[in-house]
Amino acid sequence: MTDPFDLLGVARRFSLDRAALEQRHRDLSRTLHPDRYVQAPPGERRMALDRAVAVNEAFRALRDPLTRAEALLTAHGLSVGDADRPSQALLLEVMDLREALDEGRRTPAKVTALLEQVRARTKSEENLLAAVFDGETPPDAAALARARDALVRLKYFRRFEDEADDALDS
Amino acid sequence: MAYSEKVIEHAENPRNVGTLDKEDPNVGTGLVGAPACGDVMRLQIKVSDAGVIEDAKFKTFGCGSAIASSSLATEWLKGRTLEEAATIRNTDIVKELNLPPVKIHCSVLAEDAIKSAIEDFRKKQSAKRSS
Repeated sequence: MTDPFDLLGVARRFSLDRAALEQRHRDLSRTLHPDRYVQAPPGERRMALDRAVAVNEAFRALRDPLTRAEALLTAHGLSVGDADRPSQALLLEVMDLREALDEGRRTPAKVTALLEQVRARTKSEENLLAAVFDGETPPDAAALARARDALVRLKYFRRFEDEADDALDS
Repeated sequence: MAYSEKVIEHAENPRNVGTLDKEDPNVGTGLVGAPACGDVMRLQIKVSDAGVIEDAKFKTFGCGSAIASSSLATEWLKGRTLEEAATIRNTDIVKELNLPPVKIHCSVLAEDAIKSAIEDFRKKQSAKRSS
């Protein structure tokens, strides 16, 4: 996949202007709309369609802070895979949270309290990512390693938030 | 995602779910996770003075294959010596549960959990001896 920041023409930063991103997506989608290519040769038509699909994918990736962080790390040649092992501290924290969620599943107030707690943790990881990627100078290896650890934590917290949301819905 | 019958059986009726006292010197605890999917797995063994695993418990928050892999692991661990337990390979779990290639990492996680639990137990034992 092409770098989503390049594709949408937005600055490669963690913090971004949501409204500007949506506007950019709308403009590009309009330019690439199939209606504009009805008279075009088939090759050109197909290219416009492929590009429209890629633009949608890039938009979805950048809209979500978690996949945006992933895209930023990918741009620096880093990723989080199946073989990675999280720290014991994180695993202990997540195990405690998941067990507390399991026990409190039927008590919405408890689930909401846990959710608030994890959302605050998510927010602080996002602040860390902004500090790494939005500075004056490009991040060094140590900063990128910190960002990668933050992404691992974000993945666990997202998973927890999804589970907690499910518990509140049921 | 098509799960094999054995995975579904273990995921719906997991064996040995629970907790052993992690402060107990005869208990070894392994805590592992796969960040790509946000899974977390805890596997515990209780070892007799003769070095035989008397009890095994697990708790896994993750997909059906991760639950089935750790459930199966606890079944296999009971009654084995530590040396025998250390020979369990993720490929054995893959074969028994018919895991598809995309779920092989779940069995790797279970093998890691077994190794960590054994290592934790051994560390506790050597700490006890030296104190």
